[in-house]
Amino acid sequence: MTTETKTEKWEPRIVALVCNWCTYAGADLAGISRLQYPPNVSLIRLPCSGRINPFYVVKALQHGVDGVLVSGCHPGECHYISGNLAARRKFAFLQNFLNYIGIEKDRAIFTWVSASEGEKFARVITEVTEKVRALGPATKLIKELDCV
Amino acid sequence: MNPIEEKIREEAKRLLDEKKVDVVIGYETGTLPLQTAPCFITSSDEIDRLVWNPCCKQNLAIYVHSALSQHRESQKRVKPEDKTDKVVAVVARGCTSRSLVIHLQEKQYNREDVVIIGIPCQGYIDKNKLEAGVDGLEVIAGSIDGDAVKVETSKGKTELSLIEVTADNCLECRFCNPVIHDFMAGEAIPAYESDDEFAVVDDFAALPEAERWAYFSAEMNKCMRCYACRNICPSCYCKVCFVDQSQPEWVGAGVNPSDNQVFQIMRMFHMAGRCVDCGSCVEVCAEGVDLRKFLKKLDKDDLDLYGHRAGAELDKEAPLSTFRENDEEAFIFEPE
Repeated sequence: MTTETKTEKWEPRIVALVCNWCTYAGADLAGISRLQYPPNVSLIRLPCSGRINPFYVVKALQHGVDGVLVSGCHPGECHYISGNLAARRKFAFLQNFLNYIGIEKDRAIFTWVSASEGEKFARVITEVTEKVRALGPATKLIKELDCV
Repeated sequence: MNPIEEKIREEAKRLLDEKKVDVVIGYETGTLPLQTAPCFITSSDEIDRLVWNPCCKQNLAIYVHSALSQHRESQKRVKPEDKTDKVVAVVARGCTSRSLVIHLQEKQYNREDVVIIGIPCQGYIDKNKLEAGVDGLEVIAGSIDGDAVKVETSKGKTELSLIEVTADNCLECRFCNPVIHDFMAGEAIPAYESDDEFAVVDDFAALPEAERWAYFSAEMNKCMRCYACRNICPSCYCKVCFVDQSQPEWVGAGVNPSDNQVFQIMRMFHMAGRCVDCGSCVEVCAEGVDLRKFLKKLDKDDLDLYGHRAGAELDKEAPLSTFRENDEEAFIFEPE
């Protein structure tokens, strides 16, 4: 991936960790509605945003993705009642901490997208892709295997 | 012998003689000058080993946790009628008592399993500051006389003032007296009320992003992943730590700067709302990694976002074990 990012044709690569019940369904709706959004994002479906270990975000960055998006149900709409509320506290700590040690704020983005917001999902992906594109290829925290 | 030390010994002797506790965990004189080591006293004959002075650095709460959890493990395959209880007494300063509160909140053991000998504490001698005070020379002998630290090195004797070599975290400590205790060995003392407790965080956060990253990566490059910081930390008591897991392998086993960074990020992240700023990790770090600068940030967020201080109150929930509907949400991204 690192060699690819050095070429002129660099395209941001984004991992989206999404909850099964809202954001994934929202992404489905965006697809069914034939909405266009950049193809730079890979969705990873998890049961709930509360299930997302903050380590996933750090690991994704370590493995060389340019941006991580985390998305779940809006507060109060969690399928498991309060998973996203617990997640919100973890992510508040995580984003502050990653930014504090010098990782750009837009490398890890947190948002809420519900199952009926297909249009919002497309907009989120478009805007996140633009934000990450503006930052350029990720250089921090990446594990360079050739130096082992 | 100072009056606090005398009281610790008296109380420890009473507890052991009356069979109220099985072991007293305290500090004893170390093998090197101006050092102490943790000690485990099981009989009142050994009571004279217990000491208390500004060289007592470690947070002893981790030993309470391991003694009690090992005992619980050992009782698993014992017949119900043969089961025994274990009670541990611990010499606890402010930060140690906060770690005990965290253990109690996290249901690691019961309050009746631990007897807390509380101590008013004015801070301990920082290894790095002492080293700087003697220009990096080896300390051959040393003693503490009131507010003076008398040190002997190969270049002769010098005298340092105690406050000069007291650790930073102690000078900003708001918990000089234990938050919970069963017995106090000495009068409660006023806390150092530092006005800019988070100055270290604010100064660092004001630097440009690139400089922050450069500092972080340079610090973490020093790390040789000996895991001493994890082993000494009272809040790091998982049976299997994430760094030791191989399925999935969270942190690679090889020598790689990125793995160092990821290890430190995640270990520190696990301290969110659980770090009592006892400074034990900094004290044991063989490479002198500046861990406190980063851990203090989590402390600050904990206080700013959720009005919580780790282990300060027994009946106040830790930030990540609860939530509110109206929690801070400014960081959530909303598309235009």
